[in-house]
Amino acid sequence: MRKIDKIKQYVFPYLLILPSMVGIGLFVVYPIIKVIILSFYSTNMINPAKTKYVGFENYIKMFNKVMFKKAMVNTSIYTLVMIVVVLALSLLLAVWLGQKSSRINYICQMAVFLPHIISIVSVALIFVQMMEPNFGLFNSILVALNLPTSRWLQSSDTALMSVLLVSIWKSVGYYTLIFIAALQSVPRDIYEAAELDNAGKFKTFYKITLPMISPQIFFVVIVLTIGSFKVIETIRLMTNGGPNNATTSLVFYIYREVFNNTDIGKGAAAGVVLMVIVGIMTVLYFSSLSKRVHYR
Amino acid sequence: MYGVSQNIKNTANIILKILVVAIFAFPFLWVISVSLQTDAEVNTFPATIIPKTPQFNNYVRAWQAGPFLTYFKNSVVIIVAIITIQMLIMIPAAYAFAMYDFKLKNILFSLVLIAFMVPTQVTFVPVYLMMGEWGLLRTLWPQILPFMTNAFGIFLLRQYFMQVPEELIEAARLDNASELKIVYKLMIPMAKPALATIILFSFVSHWNEYFWPLIMTNTTDVRPLTVGIAALKSTEGFVNWNTIMAGNMFLIAPILIVYVFCSRFIIKAFSYSGIK
Amino acid sequence: MAKIEFRNVTKAFDKNVVIKDLNLEIEDGSFTVLVGPSGCGKTTLLRMIAGIGPQTSGQVLIDGVDVSNVPPGKRKVAMVFQNYAIYPTMTVKENIEFGLKNNKVPKEQREKLINETASKVGLTEYLNRKPSQLSGGQRQRVALARAMVKNPSVFLMDEPLSNLDAKLRVQMRVELIELHNKLKTTFVYVTHDQVEAMSMADTIVLMNEGKIQQKASPEVMYKDPDNLFAARFIGSPPMNVCNLDHKGNKFGFRPERVDITDEYVNDTAFIMEGVVVTREMLGHETIYSVRNEEGITVTVKRLDDKWRMDQKVFVSVKDIKDIYFFGKDGQRIRENDNDYAYCINQLRGVKNEEN
Ligand SMILES: Nc1ncnc2c1ncn2[C@@H]1O[C@H](COP(=O)(O)OP(=O)(O)O)[C@@H](O)[C@H]1O
Ligand SMILES: [Mg+2]
Repeated sequence: MRKIDKIKQYVFPYLLILPSMVGIGLFVVYPIIKVIILSFYSTNMINPAKTKYVGFENYIKMFNKVMFKKAMVNTSIYTLVMIVVVLALSLLLAVWLGQKSSRINYICQMAVFLPHIISIVSVALIFVQMMEPNFGLFNSILVALNLPTSRWLQSSDTALMSVLLVSIWKSVGYYTLIFIAALQSVPRDIYEAAELDNAGKFKTFYKITLPMISPQIFFVVIVLTIGSFKVIETIRLMTNGGPNNATTSLVFYIYREVFNNTDIGKGAAAGVVLMVIVGIMTVLYFSSLSKRVHYR
Repeated sequence: MYGVSQNIKNTANIILKILVVAIFAFPFLWVISVSLQTDAEVNTFPATIIPKTPQFNNYVRAWQAGPFLTYFKNSVVIIVAIITIQMLIMIPAAYAFAMYDFKLKNILFSLVLIAFMVPTQVTFVPVYLMMGEWGLLRTLWPQILPFMTNAFGIFLLRQYFMQVPEELIEAARLDNASELKIVYKLMIPMAKPALATIILFSFVSHWNEYFWPLIMTNTTDVRPLTVGIAALKSTEGFVNWNTIMAGNMFLIAPILIVYVFCSRFIIKAFSYSGIK
Repeated sequence: MAKIEFRNVTKAFDKNVVIKDLNLEIEDGSFTVLVGPSGCGKTTLLRMIAGIGPQTSGQVLIDGVDVSNVPPGKRKVAMVFQNYAIYPTMTVKENIEFGLKNNKVPKEQREKLINETASKVGLTEYLNRKPSQLSGGQRQRVALARAMVKNPSVFLMDEPLSNLDAKLRVQMRVELIELHNKLKTTFVYVTHDQVEAMSMADTIVLMNEGKIQQKASPEVMYKDPDNLFAARFIGSPPMNVCNLDHKGNKFGFRPERVDITDEYVNDTAFIMEGVVVTREMLGHETIYSVRNEEGITVTVKRLDDKWRMDQKVFVSVKDIKDIYFFGKDGQRIRENDNDYAYCINQLRGVKNEEN
């Protein structure tokens, strides 16, 4: 090969990926570093000269803040409920709707999945209206059924659960689809063999189906965890963190610190907390990916 | 005996399935219903299910409640710009990662994976400050530029490119095709399903995006539809739900139409987004 | 029309040297078949001619010109790949047209060439189909048409028939031979199947482990192998090989040259007593294995099928010319070699021992 060709060969791939790396550098790598730096400074937006290094002060203050504690508790509850309920519901729906491909099953899948691709703005507006305590649809139905009504989003006792209801409703379809695909990838003959071995339905499910789709289950748990820890839009749209911080989440806390209190330092510190959680989940996920070979 | 219980089981199964469809689809019918109710009907208890005379005028009211033409235009411009820029950046990158061996390949590719996992919720503070420094907060750029690199797209496309048999590329070389021609005549057509999936995901996520534009816009003239619709809630108070829901339909309808026509493709694309 | 030369060519994948210091000349207009067991480097050799897997060192010459710096598309070679490598996103016509377009052939001429070629290989009706709508045989023809339409000076084919069923394979063999007769360009054809090599080649290049074992016409290859490997590789069932002495010298004879009798025969070059241990009826011929008390097994191919299992028989080779001798390095010992007399003597010894 000629020398010039060799140089071309050597430089060319870098040229091809350069634009993508500019994007990642500017909007992923730099912000990650910057958010860590910001978390150790007290930033003054109006007078940058007053910005100063404060060590772990932002973290210490943040951990002592009621709103932050409330946000962490809420986010943890939210995450836990999402994992348990969404996982159970989507598995159930997948087994129920995915075993046979019939028209009605397909229509069900279509319906269940629909909320996933509709904007959270639309969904939140609809549910806020339906959950309206005085003339909303939900209370109308409860009254018609002679059941006690609820204050839904407007009481600190029920607000978080009401938000969760919407989140579950919106996301369960996506995971159902993933599980249906997973179930369909389990070879038929394993089930036939189990049937010949006279295994019951539940036994087959526990002993064969669940282990076979365990990689997808793990994937869903990770995605749900990350997704729940970064929840903000639903809360901002439905309750704005209220009533009385009952629905404040970690990211909503960041948003508040930065945009309402212009306390960038604490916002960044909370951002680092989120980053650590996402980082742990990511590492868990990728390390399981490299181990996950034995079933296939 | 067996036949009867089987029949009951089947009927129960069907009824349950209809119930499931209702639970997930009803709210979208409900928007339409509310969007057509009179001001009085919206505020009665118990709620009105079907409006007496549909008030199509609500849609006009909603459209006039804010600069919706601007919002709509912004949403379209942003989507088109994001997808175009992503394609231009993603295809060469995926090609390089799939086809070439170079020293920093593994490191750079792990950067792509990191970009794939890091949520905007972590990065928005610095990006917001940066956009402010660059004086871009009154333009559409803060809603476009941060999404220029589609890490998921690079990842998926690279897999498709790697699956193109080596022989095919060699055959094309023997056919005297230039490197560029190999890419757009052979590789890209072969990766069409991947590109369609990537465009779909990009479209759904950016059309629906709310958090990012909420933060990155200081003026109404750069806001997209989602932010505009959400703002209706405060401008229309908690009274004119019919107007709000009519506005809501502007946001839902495009996605709903796409979904009705391409549900098979969409469902398949999302089904296999789980794990490979 | 082109002659191909390899001069001291070495090919390594990373540290793994697959071909070392290879020299080979492929004559202009020949139908040369590269044959050898799987993994011996045939495809590697072919790809070096095409330029899609260039040599590590040495030179490849086409018509006396070193083509090391000539890109694949400019070498005037066409290749039919083992898995056809048809562009799946293009129609049959676009597949055939792609190379022409890249070479800037004007439209009318393209149309003409495509139509001519398509009718030659019987694809006219399928021009607008996508490859996925074609059968294996038809895909094979697309690959062929795509190569033919460029009017190359060298045709390279890498096991082009291995994905076809047996019947179609035989038919395509004939068609390829006819194509070569018509075009008279250089064909370099790769296969691992010695039957294919024997039936198609005018020159066979037999390879093993990256080395050329023998280059000869099919007749010479069969009748006068240079070494044990060539002797065993060509012919089916393979040649019988027995130890001649304790020093590692060997002798061999082809199964179709062996007689079976129920009595001892005089005046043979080689004779052995044994029992029939296997018997394979193939229709027009029968293959027997005969084993003696020492466990030496001789394969025999006969037209008669009268010998039964467990029957006690004598197997013999009449003519000394049908017996091949090989030294301990595996090289053939021919009549005019020094060791030939020794071998004959040893063989007599073996025969005497038998009795
Ligand atoms: N791209 C490659 N990388 C590494 N080794 C290879 C490559 N291609 C072929 N080889 C090695 O070179 C040897 C010859 O391969 P090949 O020419 O394909 O054999 P054949 O076509 O005769 O079956 C084999 O041992 C194979 O493993
Ligand atoms: Mg090969």
